[in-house]
Amino acid sequence: MKRFYFLLVVIFCLLPTFSYAHKVSVYGYAEDGRVFVEGYFVDGSKAKNSIVEVFDAKTGEKLLEGKTDDKGMFSFKIPRLTSLTVVLTASMGHKNYYTISKEEVAEAIGGETTETEKTQKPEMETDTEEKVVKAEELEKVVERVMERKLKPIKNILLQIQESHARPGITEILGGIGYIIGLMGIALYFKGRK
Amino acid sequence: MHISEGILSAPVLVTGAALAAGGVALGLKKMDYERIPEVAVLSSAFFVASLIHVPLGPSSVHLVLNGLVGVLLGWIAFPSILVALTLQTLLFQFGGFTVLGVNTFNMAAPAVVSYYLFNYLVRRGNYTVSAGAAFLAGALGVGGGAMLIALCLVTTGEEFISVAKVILLAHMPVMIIEGLITSFCVLFLKKVKPELLEVGR
Repeated sequence: MKRFYFLLVVIFCLLPTFSYAHKVSVYGYAEDGRVFVEGYFVDGSKAKNSIVEVFDAKTGEKLLEGKTDDKGMFSFKIPRLTSLTVVLTASMGHKNYYTISKEEVAEAIGGETTETEKTQKPEMETDTEEKVVKAEELEKVVERVMERKLKPIKNILLQIQESHARPGITEILGGIGYIIGLMGIALYFKGRK
Repeated sequence: MHISEGILSAPVLVTGAALAAGGVALGLKKMDYERIPEVAVLSSAFFVASLIHVPLGPSSVHLVLNGLVGVLLGWIAFPSILVALTLQTLLFQFGGFTVLGVNTFNMAAPAVVSYYLFNYLVRRGNYTVSAGAAFLAGALGVGGGAMLIALCLVTTGEEFISVAKVILLAHMPVMIIEGLITSFCVLFLKKVKPELLEVGR
């Protein structure tokens, strides 16, 4: 039994020094006609120089490929209006993916191509061109302001996602509990013989 | 030391799972009643070890402890590591269920090799020999695991030499630390509970 206690002591001594490694996560968001991708490991370090592949989430067709920079970031121009799956492959067999919805992609491509055309065409017929120009300008200003305001929120979301990727004390103790439970089951069955 | 899901091809996954299943079956056969708590403790140690990050070097590497598990448990390392890896997959999202077999084999096979190579010296030798053998067992566990991962990655088209170099280099510090931990544990057991290290167990 002494050995049991000893190992428990070792485990708990090491607990406070935890830092987490070994799972790569990827997060992406579309903005301003581009998609920004960030890769990071569970311990918070960035996934540098990792291969990023972008697929059409519907057809599975590979659209483009690139590498993350020193900050674990990679960005690319949206190749087409579809939902995109970003697959990040870090070294030593680590891989994860993130899918960006079609709606988000559509929004990032912007009013210029899809929404505004639909909403403004009827206006053009009735209103003067000046007004249309003003409406376009207004939209651009609003977009710029929104982007500035939303940036911190996006960062917070990113942080939340990163913190969720880390195993907490609940998971650790839960896992040890499972093992002890399995030990009980094993003892029970072996003991009956 | 976990290969993620979606990297390896089906034949590699199936082979890994089959080899792991064989090892687990053999291990379960050898697991006596009195040894179950010991196995559970080592499972827990392995389970937690992967959260202990070694801040040396540019890559993120963590403790594995498969050498320690191997030298103490022999073939029982297979079921012990399988349980720990399953829980890591379930609770930490490390690795994945389809790669569970491959990951188990990659970690447990070097553990068993460590057992056969160093078991005798660890158990029979004096303190110095025992500590040295335990150090090598710990280092071999990690190093062997790294080599097997490199071998698995070759099947995905990566070149063996370059992958092996990267992985081994990244795990150098871990190998040394694991060696030290393993020899520390073995020496402690020798002093406190030598009957656990008796030959023929």
